[in-house]
Amino acid sequence: MLTLALDTATPRSSCALLEGEKLLGERETKAVSVLAAADALLAEAGFSPADLERIVCGTGPGSFTGIRIGLAAARGLALTLALPLAGVSTLNALREGAPGSLPVIDGSRKEIFTLIEGRPFVTRPEQLAPAPGTLCVGDGAVRYRALLEAAGAEVPPDASELHLVRARFHARLATDFGPAELVEPLYLRIPDAEKALER
Amino acid sequence: MILAIETSCDETAAALIDDAGRLHANVVSSQAELHARFGGVVPEVASRRHLELICPVVQSALDEAKLTFDQLDRVAVTQGPGLIGALLVGISAAKAIAWGKGLPLVPVDHLLGHVAALYLEPVGLDPPFLCLLTSGGHTLLLDVQEHTTFRLLGTTLDDAAGEAFDKGARLLGLGYPGGAALDMLARKGDSGAYSFPVARLDGLDFSFSGLKTALLYAVRGLDSAELERRRADLAASYQHAIVRALVERTLQAAEKIGARQIAVAGGVAANSELRRALAGAALAPVELCTDNAAMIASAARYLKPLMPPGYLGLDAYASRQLA
Repeated sequence: MLTLALDTATPRSSCALLEGEKLLGERETKAVSVLAAADALLAEAGFSPADLERIVCGTGPGSFTGIRIGLAAARGLALTLALPLAGVSTLNALREGAPGSLPVIDGSRKEIFTLIEGRPFVTRPEQLAPAPGTLCVGDGAVRYRALLEAAGAEVPPDASELHLVRARFHARLATDFGPAELVEPLYLRIPDAEKALER
Repeated sequence: MILAIETSCDETAAALIDDAGRLHANVVSSQAELHARFGGVVPEVASRRHLELICPVVQSALDEAKLTFDQLDRVAVTQGPGLIGALLVGISAAKAIAWGKGLPLVPVDHLLGHVAALYLEPVGLDPPFLCLLTSGGHTLLLDVQEHTTFRLLGTTLDDAAGEAFDKGARLLGLGYPGGAALDMLARKGDSGAYSFPVARLDGLDFSFSGLKTALLYAVRGLDSAELERRRADLAASYQHAIVRALVERTLQAAEKIGARQIAVAGGVAANSELRRALAGAALAPVELCTDNAAMIASAARYLKPLMPPGYLGLDAYASRQLA
């Protein structure tokens, strides 16, 4: 089963190609070039897009534009090639890469995206109360290292691989393959304009 | 057969055109109602809706034309100018469709697309001609020399004409988008009732911001009963001032370059007074004047396609590049 997995929710986006559970290759990329990375991975493994059998897409949270670039590509590909698509939360994939960790994605505007009791939330970093010794990973953990460490959490060195979203983990977590339109983006925030209207 | 996708602002659109330039489908899903409550297009709201609509719109274009992805020869997509987040949804989907089937991709400039609406039937225009391109985002006078090349003769220094219509409509309590409502109301009014200033600029440029301010003061000077009574006159006079500015400049430009043919493109070309005032001009049907993908498909027929994987890193651009 040839699987293409991609996640473009964070600035250091990722694309992976797997045959069954075997990783054939993985590339870091800019969101807008994610299909260029996919093309290179397929070419290296001797395949073409028509050989793909299923797609896995990171659904966020992260950059709104980034999430949409990935999902538009994944849905477009699924529609064109009549392939099943599965969505995996970027937070879950990040945690899968560092078992037992707390994933923390930079949400900009002095906020972070994280899991609280296993569910995705947007919050301010100072509101996070990690249990002492909790391993925090992700670009949000790097950005708010001082705060998290002061709260007793552990944050791997900035250059650690553990902070990066890696599409191979999306592929590992993907179970629910189905129609592309059922895979929804995980924004966690409503647009500012709607917030303003509610006031 | 070309599949074209357009998502630069608040319409999600897909169209199919054959080698002879005949349209097989032209699907436009407008988000206007979604943005009405905000009084204008909200980029993040637009981008979210594009993502929801892009695949269904492409599929319904194929269904309408009774075609499948296997029958496509190339894919075209609007690259800019427009809202970056909105453009990227269309670009990303277009890349995926083209790459999935090993097809070439044609990035198309949105403004060239508006001009290329004139190449489609029933107008079927060929260059050279002078084009007044007037929409919610742009007001340009273009010397169209060939199908894909033109020279900029004049542009707006502030608001676009369509923007002036929408802002005027809002001041008159007509909601958003109000260009069409203002056009309707103006039919019941006296266009000579108010004298709104038209900026006199050197050269062939436009300015509409003073006009909007003049309308604001006129509206402020009236109590609500009187405003209700004079609304149609205000609309008619305001519209007349915009149209007069567009027409005067267009005729000046035509004279300057010795144009034999004048054409009008862009959403404001739907305005009834402008259509009457430039009756000798080539005018696309209203559905091809407002944003659509048929015009992108039309432009793509004259542009060089990019081969895979050359287009897979393609990015959007926000501001005007052409001319």
